Amino acid sequence: MVKQITNTLFDQFIADFELRSLISASAETTELHTLRETAFEQFKQIGFPNTKVEDWKYINLTPFLKEDFITEPGDELSMTRDEVIAKAKIKNLDAYSIVLVNGQYLSALSDTIPGEEISLSSLSAATNQPSFKAHFGKYIPLDKNHFAALNTALFRDGLFISIKDKAVVDKPIHIIHIVSSDNNLFLQPRHLFVMGAGAALQIVESFISGDSSAMGGAKIFVNNVSEIVLGERAKLQHYYIQTGNENTSYIHHTEIVQEAYSLYNNYKSSFPGTGLLRNNLNVSLNGEHIESHLYGLYLAGGRQLIDNHTIVDHLKPNCQSNELYKGVMKDEAVAIFNGKIFVRKGAQKTNAFQKNNNLMLSKKAVVDSKPQLEIFADDVKCSHGSTIGQFNEDALFYLKARGIGEEKAKALLIHAFAYDVTEKIPIPAVKAYINELIEEGLK
Amino acid sequence: MNNNNEILERLTTEVYEYGFVTDIEMDIAPNGLNEETVRFISAKKNEPGWLLEWRLKGLRQFQQGEMPNWQNFEMPAIDFQGISYYAAPSKKAKYNSLDEVDPELLATFEKLGIPLNEQKALSGVAVDVVFDSVSVATTFREKLQELGIIFCSFSDAVKEHPDLVKKYLGSVVPYTDNVFASLNAAVVSDGSFAYIPKGVRCPMELSTYFRINAKNTGQFERTLIIADEGSYVSYLEGCTAPMRDENQLHAAVVELIALDNAEIKYSTVQNWYPGDKDGKGGIFNFVTKRGICKGVNSKISWTQVETGSAITWKYPSVILRGDNSTGEFYSVALTKNKQIADTGTKMFHIGKNTRSRIISKGISAGQGNNSYRGLVQVGIGAENARNFTQCDSLLIGDECGAHTFPYIESKNSSAIVEHEATTSKIGEDQIFYLNQRGIATEKAVALIVNGYAKEVLNQLPMEFAVEAQKLLAISLEGSVG
Repeated sequence: MVKQITNTLFDQFIADFELRSLISASAETTELHTLRETAFEQFKQIGFPNTKVEDWKYINLTPFLKEDFITEPGDELSMTRDEVIAKAKIKNLDAYSIVLVNGQYLSALSDTIPGEEISLSSLSAATNQPSFKAHFGKYIPLDKNHFAALNTALFRDGLFISIKDKAVVDKPIHIIHIVSSDNNLFLQPRHLFVMGAGAALQIVESFISGDSSAMGGAKIFVNNVSEIVLGERAKLQHYYIQTGNENTSYIHHTEIVQEAYSLYNNYKSSFPGTGLLRNNLNVSLNGEHIESHLYGLYLAGGRQLIDNHTIVDHLKPNCQSNELYKGVMKDEAVAIFNGKIFVRKGAQKTNAFQKNNNLMLSKKAVVDSKPQLEIFADDVKCSHGSTIGQFNEDALFYLKARGIGEEKAKALLIHAFAYDVTEKIPIPAVKAYINELIEEGLK
Repeated sequence: MNNNNEILERLTTEVYEYGFVTDIEMDIAPNGLNEETVRFISAKKNEPGWLLEWRLKGLRQFQQGEMPNWQNFEMPAIDFQGISYYAAPSKKAKYNSLDEVDPELLATFEKLGIPLNEQKALSGVAVDVVFDSVSVATTFREKLQELGIIFCSFSDAVKEHPDLVKKYLGSVVPYTDNVFASLNAAVVSDGSFAYIPKGVRCPMELSTYFRINAKNTGQFERTLIIADEGSYVSYLEGCTAPMRDENQLHAAVVELIALDNAEIKYSTVQNWYPGDKDGKGGIFNFVTKRGICKGVNSKISWTQVETGSAITWKYPSVILRGDNSTGEFYSVALTKNKQIADTGTKMFHIGKNTRSRIISKGISAGQGNNSYRGLVQVGIGAENARNFTQCDSLLIGDECGAHTFPYIESKNSSAIVEHEATTSKIGEDQIFYLNQRGIATEKAVALIVNGYAKEVLNQLPMEFAVEAQKLLAISLEGSVG
């Protein structure tokens, strides 16, 4: 097969799987075991994607995969845990904190959520739950998603949340994902969130990595997969706050399936740090009268590579989707935006919008933007737009003429540029926190 | 709206009016593609050795090449050994004047409305006519010669101006470019050649009319246009083919070269046979078109109206190498029945202050699928590059598809790149507005579609604009969405 990068890592996974398969056969349900087997067969066929694969056209993964990785994390955490958690805390945010270290849910460090309506546990402890059986591994097409296939075959653990019908969780759940290791580590966490009909929830997910000096330059590659299911009339506000150090690489696949009348809002913000950040955010609108909003803000600096791939798939009539991604590009950063809207046959009265704006602050930054529409129904309103540009000289001049220094004027304009996304954030504490991160990221 | 189906029915059963066959004596090479075929074509045309060498390189490249698989349609299996690569009216190799042309042939062009007869010709259009593989007539040659303009068939150019051909042939679209370009290089039959000398503004439209007639043949012509410093030329291209049940391949290559301060305007009205309403037959229009703005302040502008062909697959592109150069692309693509169009453009910004503008209007009806695929690439040295792209799709009926795949790659922070696209059907409120003012629904739709395509049609030279408008009207008048 020409399409795959073959390296020692690839061979290592094959060996890994054989070993893991034995454990899985005895310890896990047969369904899960079979799923792992099929996923692995798939991965063996397609391997790691190279730049000939359209979805990976702009990323050469070879340098990120060339290290020797261990695939089983040790127990150590280079920073004291309290310190790390303190770092991830969002000021003034009243929330239930859930802590995951290297993909492992740690109940000792996490808050307990009162009430019967929500069940939260590690994924491995939930494999016999009905909602796990009904939804796990059912939605991601593995033949096109190299990393999701690998994850499905070899994931270790992750977080499972299930909410009963009509349950409303009073406070946001703040999930803190910490990765840290003294050795090169390849991590494969897996999460599943299932929301019953009419349930409402807010999830804030922070991604942080341990101090790079304490980690001694160890590289961490995270291949994260989340599946999210929204029942009828369910409402989910979902935040991603992505930070990290330059030694971490993230492939982050999120698959969302929505039933009729449900609402899904995603607010994603990415900041300088993480060396490679690839987000696959796929939403299937599988019912009528669904609303989905995807807001993204990426501030890329250093030699960072941020790649946002989204798919919004309109399968049924009368749905609305709206996507807005804004990027601020510093230094030698590279950003990729690939947004795809499908309107399937019969999905009439669809309204779908998509926009990507990029503000270039540096001569050496690179942006590749690919907004795409694929439409098979006629009674629709769809549009997309994409721009790449610089500061508006007039605006800058206006501010300077009023005695505002160049630096400050620029910062003001960047905040104004980001405002289109930040103003959409409903939780004030999170909004303030993201504004702070923007401030910090611009330094 | 009850009459929707009726109107759609009519739309999808519209008869192709140029589908007749001319019964004329033909010289046809046996089917198949190998070194012998290439040598046969070359010998038939009395070509110099270097051209044969180049052809053979193209053939070798083609034999190694793989069919692309990234396009947004099912690639039809093409039996390259089942096609004849050379077909020409057999009467005479070269016509000295129109009197010698086969009357049957003249009648054909009469039917197509192409004025070959110079007396009757519309003043201001010089026509080169390519019938199957061979250029049969070029009008106004002498008059153009007085100004130093060379306008002739590709074969004549090889004989009479070998230096120019040798210098520029394959300089924009090399034989290694893609499989169809390699194939074209190997079996190029004929085509048009134009050279506009320094500082000359070509006083009339240059025009080529392509006609596929013979059965089971492909057409592989090559057009080469060179605009020397400070010159200007407007070039038109039109095409038709008879109705046949099997698919025919058209794999042409067009190369444009604009030197300092030169401007080339290239317009196409493509009306190859689109196949019948079940998608049987029709032309595969796989064409490579590319221009290079080599000099400073040069400009290349593509305008295309694509209504024919079973599959249209082409991306007329501009390489903006000279500083301050400009590239433009205006397109209307209409697909109905089972037609497929995967078309768009590529703009490569290399020089400083380069500008490009892309306006693409897709119209899908019936079960047609229309894709816009475009690339805007801003190189690291393209200071102050500017691009504006707008691609709109209009959907008529619920079985068609419209797709947009823009690629935007910016490596220079001073560049400003804008892209916007919309997809919608004709608004009920718009129709209602016109209805209210006493305009019947059919007319209202025609009006709206015309307005929708106007931005592009306006770019065409006058005579062509009329033809293009007529073409759109035939297919779209009254198509209520």
